[in-house]
Amino acid sequence: MSTAVALRGIRKTYGKTTALDGLELEVAEGEFFCLLGPSGAGKTTTLKTVAGLEQPDAGTVELDGRDMRGVEPYDRGVAMCFESYALYPHKSAYDNLASPLRSPRHRLPAAQARERIGEIAELLGISALLDRPVGHLSNGQRQRVALGRVLVRPARAFLLDEPLSHLDAKLRQQMRAELKAIGAVRRTTTLYVTHDSVEALALGDRIGVIRDGRIVQTGTREEIWYRPYDTEVARAFGRPRINLLPGAVTPAGGFRSADGGVELPLPAPAAPGAQTLIGVRPRDLTLGEGPGHELTGTVYVTEVLGRSVEVTVRLGEQHVSLVAPRGAAAGLRPDDPVRLSVRPENLMLFEADRPERPGRRIGP
Amino acid sequence: MTVRKRLLGWLADAALILYFLFALFPIAWMVILSLKPTNQLFSTYFSFSPTLDGYRTVLGDSEGIPFVRFFVNSLVVSVGAVVLSLLVGLPAAYASARWRFKGSENLMFTLLSFRFAPELTVIIPLFVLYQKLGLFDTYVGMVWVLQLVTLPLIVWIMRSYFADLTPELEQAALLDGYTRKQAFLRVALPLVKPGVAAVSLLAFIFAWNNFVFPLILTSNEAQTVTVGALSFLGGDRPKYNLTAAAALVSVVPPLLLALTIQRYLVRGLSFGAVKS
Amino acid sequence: MGWRLALRPYVLIVPALLLTCGILYPFGLGLYYTLFDFSASKPQPDMVRFENYEAVFTQEAFWNSAWVTVLYAVGAAAVETVLGVTVALLLHRSTIVGRVLEKILILPLMIAPVIAAIIWKLMLQPSVGVINYLLRPFGLGGVQWTDTPTGALLSSIAVDVWVYTPFVAILALAGLRSLPTSPFEAAAVDGAGWWYTFRRLTLPMLWPYVLVAVIFRFMDSLKVFDIIYALTEGGPGDSTVVLQIRAYLEAIRFQRYSFGISYTIVLWAVVYLAAMVLVKHLGKIQRKAAEAK
Repeated sequence: MSTAVALRGIRKTYGKTTALDGLELEVAEGEFFCLLGPSGAGKTTTLKTVAGLEQPDAGTVELDGRDMRGVEPYDRGVAMCFESYALYPHKSAYDNLASPLRSPRHRLPAAQARERIGEIAELLGISALLDRPVGHLSNGQRQRVALGRVLVRPARAFLLDEPLSHLDAKLRQQMRAELKAIGAVRRTTTLYVTHDSVEALALGDRIGVIRDGRIVQTGTREEIWYRPYDTEVARAFGRPRINLLPGAVTPAGGFRSADGGVELPLPAPAAPGAQTLIGVRPRDLTLGEGPGHELTGTVYVTEVLGRSVEVTVRLGEQHVSLVAPRGAAAGLRPDDPVRLSVRPENLMLFEADRPERPGRRIGP
Repeated sequence: MTVRKRLLGWLADAALILYFLFALFPIAWMVILSLKPTNQLFSTYFSFSPTLDGYRTVLGDSEGIPFVRFFVNSLVVSVGAVVLSLLVGLPAAYASARWRFKGSENLMFTLLSFRFAPELTVIIPLFVLYQKLGLFDTYVGMVWVLQLVTLPLIVWIMRSYFADLTPELEQAALLDGYTRKQAFLRVALPLVKPGVAAVSLLAFIFAWNNFVFPLILTSNEAQTVTVGALSFLGGDRPKYNLTAAAALVSVVPPLLLALTIQRYLVRGLSFGAVKS
Repeated sequence: MGWRLALRPYVLIVPALLLTCGILYPFGLGLYYTLFDFSASKPQPDMVRFENYEAVFTQEAFWNSAWVTVLYAVGAAAVETVLGVTVALLLHRSTIVGRVLEKILILPLMIAPVIAAIIWKLMLQPSVGVINYLLRPFGLGGVQWTDTPTGALLSSIAVDVWVYTPFVAILALAGLRSLPTSPFEAAAVDGAGWWYTFRRLTLPMLWPYVLVAVIFRFMDSLKVFDIIYALTEGGPGDSTVVLQIRAYLEAIRFQRYSFGISYTIVLWAVVYLAAMVLVKHLGKIQRKAAEAK
C-alpha cells in the first residue's frame, strides 16, 4: 500500500506555545486512521496543516508522495469537517452541501449536484432539513450537515475533526457504526480526530496517540490495547481504566506491591529493586478461582453496568477494578472476602511514573 | 416599603423626563422658530401664525445663500468620502483582522491617532497646499480631507466585525474549492454586510456633520450645509427663522439615518471598543 | 511560493497605506512649516528653528488658552460622565417611559455640533432668546449668557453636554446590559441595599465602559472647535479662546501659518500624552474587570 498522507518533522508554534513538536505521521492509501489525544494535544493543528490552512514552521507535508509546500488549500484536494462545523450561517443546509459542487474545482451540473446532495442527505438522515437555514438546526443536525459537505464531493483524503462529538449518545453510536460503511469513506483515505478512545477503537484501522504535539504511539487497536507505549496510553483506553499497582522488583525476580499486600510474577525481566507499575485490565481479572495467579482481598464497592458488574476490590492498601458477569458477582457485599485470579500473560510491566513523563512499558 | 418603592420609581421616571426635556426642547424650539413669519420674530414666543415661508426662502436661495447647492455638496462629498474609505478600508480591515502583522498594526494605530488629532494640525498645511494644487474649494479636496474622519472609523469598526467572524468559515470555503478572493466575497463579506451598512451610514453622518474642514478648505463651490447654515446668522439683520429652518434642513439626513442604525451605534461610537 | 503567501496581507493594506500617507503628508508638512516663519505676508519664509515654539510658550495668550481648554475639557467630560451614567442607570430600569425615551436618546448626538451651537445661540440670545423668556417668571429675565466670560464658558460647556451626554449614556447603557446577572442576584439574596450594590458591584464592573466614554469625551473636548466657533467665537475678549480657536485665529484669520500650526502641534502633543495615560489606565481597568467577572 502506498502512503497517502505523510507528515515529516512538523513543527508549529504560536507565539510561545508549541502546538506541534516534530510530528511524524504516515497514513496509507484508503486507510481509516484515528488520531486520538486530549484537547490541546495538537490534533486540529495537524489536520489544518495537512489541509494547508496552517503553514508549518518546519517539516514537510506530502500527499500521494508530493511535497505540498506552497500548494493552496483548494489545490490539495482534501475535504475537512471542522469541529466548529464552520457552516455558512447565511445559507440553507442545501446550499451548504452544494457549496463544494458549485466551486470552480468540484463543479457538477445542477441536476447531478441535486442528485448527489439527495443521496448524501438520505445517508445522514437530514433530507427533511435541507431547506432550513443552518441557524435553525440543532447542534447534532449541524454536525451532520458539516459531515455531508465533506462527503458530497470526491477527495484525495477526508479530514474529520471530532465529527460525532455533538451528537446525542444514541445517534453517535448509530453514526459510528454507519460511518465506515459509507462508500465514500470506505474508498477514501480518512484522517479522523477524536478525544474519545471508544470511537478510536471502533473506527480506526490504525490509531495514532498524540500528546504535546508529538505522536506517542501508532498501531492497530490490538497493538495499542495490549502493547501500550506507556502508562498514559494504557490509561487512555478502556473503561473502567486499567489497574496500575505500584511496587518494586524483588531480589528473587518477582513483583511486590508498595504496601507488601500483593505479590505477582514478573511479566517481563527487570532489574531487582526497580520501581515499577504492574498493569492489568479490569476485564482480565477473574472473580473466584481460575487459571493463573491468585489474589485475595475484600470487596470495596460494586456497581452494576448492565449485564456485568464492576467490582472494586481492596488488595492491601490498593484498589483494583474488575468486570465480572452479573451472576458471578451476585450477593457480594462490601467487606466480603473475595478471591481473584489473573493469567500471567495478561500482566503488563511499566516503569514507575515520573513527574516529567509517564512510565514506559517494559514488557511484555 | 412598596409605597416608597413606587414613589422612587415615579421620581426616577420624572428625572428621566426632565433630562429628555433638556435634550429635546432645543429641537422643538427650532421647529417653532423656523415656522415663524419674519415680522413676528421678535414680538412672539409660542403663539404666532405659523408659515413655511422660512423654508421657502432657505430652499429658494433667495437670501443670496445657495443653500440647496450646499445641501447637494454635503451629499456629494460625504458619499464620496464614505465610498473611497470603503474601497480602501475594507481590505485593510480584513487583512489586519486575519493576520496580525507589524505593518497593519502600525497602520491601525496611525489611523486611530487621526481620530484624536486636532483637525487644524492637518488643515492649516492643507489650506496652503490646496491653494497651490488647485484643490481649494473642490469636491476632490473635500473627499480627500474627509478621509481623516471616515477612514479610521470604517477600518477600526470593520476590523472588529471581521475579527468576530471565525476564520474557519473562510477556511471551509477554501477546502470547498474556492480561491481566497472568492472566500472573502462569498463568505466573509455577506456575513458582515449589516456591519458594513451601519458603519457606512455612521461615517456618512460624521462626514456630513463635519464643520471645520469645509469652513477652512472651501469658500463657495464645495461649501457644505454646516458652514452654510452658519452664514444665515451673519449680516446686519438677524434672520433667526431662516437660521432655524436651515439648521433643521441640515440635520434631517443624519437624524433619519441615525434612527435606522441604533442597534449598531454602540460599536460604532466606541470604535469597536464596546460591543453590544 | 512562500513569499507570495507572506505578501498577501500587505497587498490588501497597500491602498489604505497610500491614502494614510496622503493624510500624513500634510501633517509632516505642517511639522516642517513650524520651523519657518511662513505667513501670507512672507511667502518665502526663513528657517527660524524652534522660535515659533518658544514664542508659543512665552505668549500669555497661550497659557490663557491652555487654561480655558483644560477647564472646558474637564468640565464637559465630568458633567457628561455623571449625567450620562445617571441617564443610563435610569433607562436601565426599562420602565415604559424609559423604553420610549431610549429610542430618541441619540438625537442630539447626531446633530452637527456646529448646528447645535447655532440652536443654542438662538435660545440664549439675551433679549429675545427663549431661555430668558422662560426664566422671566422666576425673576431671572436678563441673563447675559454668552456675553460674560464665565457665562460664555459655561454656555459652551452646556452645549457640549447637550450634544454628548447621549454618547456616554449609550456606552454606559450597553455596559449595564452586558453585566452578568448572578452577582446581583446573590447580592439581592444577601439583602444588600441599593447603594451598596451600586458602589460595590455596578460601578466597578461598569467602569471599563464608562472609561471608554470618558477617554473619547475628554480627548475630543481638548480639541473643541465647532461649538465655540459658532457660539462665542472665543469671546467675550479672550475668555473662550480654546487652543484650536487660537490656532485658527493665528493661522487663518491673521495668516501666520507657521505660528498657528505650532499651536496645534503643542495641542496634539497634549492630546497624545493624555491618550497614552488614559489608555494605559483603561487596559489595567479592563483586565481587572475581566478578572472580577
